[in-house]
Amino acid sequence: MAVKLIETGEKERLMELLRERLVDCGWKDEMKALCRAVVKKKGRNNVTVDELVHVITPKGRASVPDTIKAELLQRIRTFLVSAAL
Amino acid sequence: MSPKINAQISPQPCPHLAEFRRTSTKPFLALHSCLRIKPPGGRAALRRDPDEVPRCGACGLSSPSRLYACVTCAAVSCHSTSADDSSHAAVHAASMPPGHQIAVDVDRAELFCCACRDQVYDRDFDAAVVIAQTAASTLGADPPPAIPSSHPENLRKKRRVDYRPWAPDLRERALIGSCSGPIAGDAADPSQDLPRGLRGLNNLGNTCFMNSVLQALLHTPPLRNYFLSDRHNRFFCQKRNNGDGDGGAAGKRNGGNNGNKNARICLACDMDAMFSAVFSGDRVPYSPAKFLYSWWQHAANLASYEQQDAHEFFISMLDGIHEKVEKGRREPDSEGNGDCCIAHKVFSGILRSDVTCMACGFTSTTYDPCIDISLDLEPNQGVSNKTATATSNHSCNGEADCMNSSQYCGTSTLTGCLKRFTRAERLGADQKFFCRQCQVRQETLKQMSIRKLPLVSCFHIKRFEHSSTRKMSRKVDRYLQFPFSLDMSPYLSSTILRSRFGNRIFPFDGDEPDASDELCSEFELFAVVTHTGKLDAGHYVTYLRLSNRWYKCDDAWITQVDENIVRAAQCYMMFYVQKMLYYKATDKQVAS
Ligand SMILES: [Zn+2]
Ligand SMILES: [Zn+2]
Ligand SMILES: [Zn+2]
Ligand SMILES: [Zn+2]
Ligand SMILES: [Zn+2]
Ligand SMILES: [Zn+2]
Repeated sequence: MAVKLIETGEKERLMELLRERLVDCGWKDEMKALCRAVVKKKGRNNVTVDELVHVITPKGRASVPDTIKAELLQRIRTFLVSAAL
Repeated sequence: MSPKINAQISPQPCPHLAEFRRTSTKPFLALHSCLRIKPPGGRAALRRDPDEVPRCGACGLSSPSRLYACVTCAAVSCHSTSADDSSHAAVHAASMPPGHQIAVDVDRAELFCCACRDQVYDRDFDAAVVIAQTAASTLGADPPPAIPSSHPENLRKKRRVDYRPWAPDLRERALIGSCSGPIAGDAADPSQDLPRGLRGLNNLGNTCFMNSVLQALLHTPPLRNYFLSDRHNRFFCQKRNNGDGDGGAAGKRNGGNNGNKNARICLACDMDAMFSAVFSGDRVPYSPAKFLYSWWQHAANLASYEQQDAHEFFISMLDGIHEKVEKGRREPDSEGNGDCCIAHKVFSGILRSDVTCMACGFTSTTYDPCIDISLDLEPNQGVSNKTATATSNHSCNGEADCMNSSQYCGTSTLTGCLKRFTRAERLGADQKFFCRQCQVRQETLKQMSIRKLPLVSCFHIKRFEHSSTRKMSRKVDRYLQFPFSLDMSPYLSSTILRSRFGNRIFPFDGDEPDASDELCSEFELFAVVTHTGKLDAGHYVTYLRLSNRWYKCDDAWITQVDENIVRAAQCYMMFYVQKMLYYKATDKQVAS
């Protein structure tokens, strides 16, 4: 099923939608500010992308608005139904 | 993670990347054919064939958080950011001989070192991606259906100078009281509901080309404020010029005005006189004869009673104001940065052009001052005028609105023209450019953008096509839709470069994108010069927007019109003013 999601391009569309929504609701700015803070605390040359992602990911996951999650879930359900037909 | 990548501080490569670059001759050659851009102008990704679903070679997962392709052997491995999770990319890097640490994120086309577990940057790699992206965006008919770029507000730092109210002190109040009187004629005037300064201009024999432009200039807020606040006083100007400059410039003009030795040609003085007359409250049509005469002196080649091109007149008269005002001053040549004279202060902007070598990605950048922007009408999309007017009745203030309707019904729009103007364009094989890096002539991509916005943006639509080979000219009557409010931020160099290069290293030595331009990118339409009829026998009319009403200025006749008439008109020149100036102007009108 996951493969089908990718092959049909639906995954790419969902990603695009998600990106758009996250920017709209200010989530991206919030993450940007968090990243800035982490980099500042550790010093610019002492932080790798991996560490940064590691630190930010839990906070990022937690702060995605429920409405966006619901919208995406709905989209995926619709896809599943239409794919099953 | 250096935030200043675009500003030329390229990060040091990690030892693994440095080693990889040293040992391989054509490091990223194999990648070029795998770069996919979806949709045109969109993100870069890596796929061996377009429909490939990449998966980790070790565990078969097709959608872990990240997938990396090794630049040495093309093996695809998954990667997880937490140090304790398994990372097949790290395993791959460790189990292979040196050179397999560097990998590419298959969904982002960004370089990563699996040993350092950090993003790495490389000029040549970024150049390859940028060329692929730019090439993709020029192939398709149009860039992607523009997800309205919702740059959050706080990204555009608002750094304006604050407005400070001014109230006269006692001495000043006394001075104002004793030296001025109330402006006469408002109470009994039947045309009192007309905004101040609205006065017809008599046609002096095929001079509607001049009247139409003058009406727009008379109501250009910063220009009007300049003259009405007496910044170019014609009496002082004439006196000063006669006083000190009799030798030089005056010597050029001999004869002609024997009777009146005071009359030195200064277009700014004539503008000053015209502003006084037009804003005097008198509504009887005014004859700009003195101005016409002065302009003839300035542009001798255009002096005739034939119909002229309004746009040529506009350029030539601004040039005239510049020249005469400049003569008195000894300042170093500041033309172009817009600080020289009122004409340039108001209308002057700076265009940026980037020419990118298609072979190596090297880009050379040039800046040119511009006083207006001439736009080509979009190629014929074969739509009848009926559809065009139908959508134009539709309220279409929002940019996105216009863009959508243009996509659905094929109407040409001003925003469409601007998009085309700033789109990367592949120059033909006959226009090869000498690339400084390759040291040979190469095919290139050219992209225009706006480096600095003027206070007032004038757009000129190229309706008159002159073909030198066939020795004929013709007029394009196609309808063009234009918004009343215009956001110029998508056409700014900073926006265009950001969307083109993202966080990749610029493959050239241009300077950094300038964010200061984003401050005032919102514009309001205040004048539209229209042309009806044929090439030589046509007629120019101007629509003015004052206090949010529209007025038609047809030589001596002024009438209020519905905005739908304006929307449906055949625009030739559009004048937009920065929004903050527009609203101040409107408030003032209402208050007076
Ligand atoms: Zn794996
Ligand atoms: Zn490998
Ligand atoms: Zn490394
Ligand atoms: Zn003068
Ligand atoms: Zn000037
Ligand atoms: Zn080159």
